[in-house]
Parts: sequence; structure tokens; C-alpha cells
Amino acid sequence: MTLKITELEKNDKICKMSIDGEMDINSYKKVKDKLNKIIDEESINIELDFQNLSYIDSTGIGVLIGILKKLNKNEKSLVIKNARENIIRLFNITGLDKIFILQ
Amino acid sequence: MKDIVNLKLPCKAEFVNVARMNVATIANNMKMNYEVIQDLKVAVSEACNNVILHSDSDAYYEVVFAVTKDKLIIDINDYGVGFDMKNYEKPDLKHPKGHGLGLFIIENLVDEMKIITEDEIGTTIKMIKNV
Repeated sequence: MTLKITELEKNDKICKMSIDGEMDINSYKKVKDKLNKIIDEESINIELDFQNLSYIDSTGIGVLIGILKKLNKNEKSLVIKNARENIIRLFNITGLDKIFILQ
Repeated sequence: MKDIVNLKLPCKAEFVNVARMNVATIANNMKMNYEVIQDLKVAVSEACNNVILHSDSDAYYEVVFAVTKDKLIIDINDYGVGFDMKNYEKPDLKHPKGHGLGLFIIENLVDEMKIITEDEIGTTIKMIKNV
């Protein structure tokens, strides 16, 4: 399954995006480049809708950790919404559920 | 008695989902439940990622599934530089980095995991999931 990134809403405070498909070793760079471009251009909060994200692996999680660190440096937030059970399970196993805001 | 399924995959990121789909099919045939199948998809993919990212491997690696009545044994065999076990550190989950989570995730998703490695010969990541 291919990965699709859609910008849902953007203003001067927040950029909301959905990430659909599979975020794995073959696709994580697409997300990394897109998110880095946005937060390098402006200091902004990020909200990611994972409703249609069916799979993530450690390369995808690594991207999210990198983005979270960058945002926190600028006192901005990363919120992850609607993640499926299999994805929440990985966050729980790695302890990242305590670091990320999952809604 | 066991049945063997042997995949030979190119060391390229775009083929990891082939291993993932195969383990899902095999685990489903073994009547494992949905959650276990999701876990195995991640575990197998992480082991394949490890080959692609760290083994400096030859053009191909193997994913071998051995199906028995009560367990699924999965070997990921590469012919790369070997795994540096001495310098492997478990991730610090309070201060996560953007890398180094793969083996930790595998350990938590299967019943047994073993790494057999030899410098300049290659590495096998062996995973066992009981039915």
C-alpha cells in the first residue's frame, strides 16, 4: 500500500495532516521530508491524523521522534489523532505513549 | 513434522512488505488471531529492516518460515558484515532516539528471539511464536 500525506488545514498556529497507508522503511523518508519542510519554514504546531494509517515500523516511529524533538525545541507540539490499536500497541511497547500526545 | 517456506528477497526497502504479507498469510493459515498477526508483521519487518539498514549485505537475504503444529519459527538470514553484539545497547525509553528500536520491538512481540552472528559471514535473527 502506498503512503499518502494530505494537508487538511493550515493557519499560522497549526498544520493538520492525515497520513494514510503504510509508513515503513520504504516510505518514511516521504513523511520525514514533508514534515521537516513545514517546521523548518515556520514555527508551527503539528497535528497528524492516523485514522487511515494501517502500519508503522521503527523507521516511521524514528521520524516522529525526530520531529517531536525539533518541535519541542521551539515549544511547539505534535499531536497524533485516531491511531489504530496496532499502532498504539507499538507506542505502548516502546514507552513512547508517555512522550507523544495521542488522542 | 514441519513445513518450510523459503523466501529469497533483494536487499531493498521496497520488498520488505513481501515478507510482511507472507508472514500474515502463514500466521492466518495457522489460525493465529488478528493481534498476533499484526505483531508478527512488525517483528518480521523489523528484522528485514535490520538487514537492509545495517548488514551491508549481499544482493539477497532469506526469510525462512518453519511451520509446526504448535509454533512458527522465522529465520532472517543475511550474508553481511555480522552484527556487533558487544556495542548493542538497549534503547533508553525515557530519552528515545530516532533509531535503535527495531530489535527491542521484536523482543517484545515474539515468544523467543535469538541472534546468531559471525563477522563477515552474516547474521540470523531467529524468532519463535507459539500458537
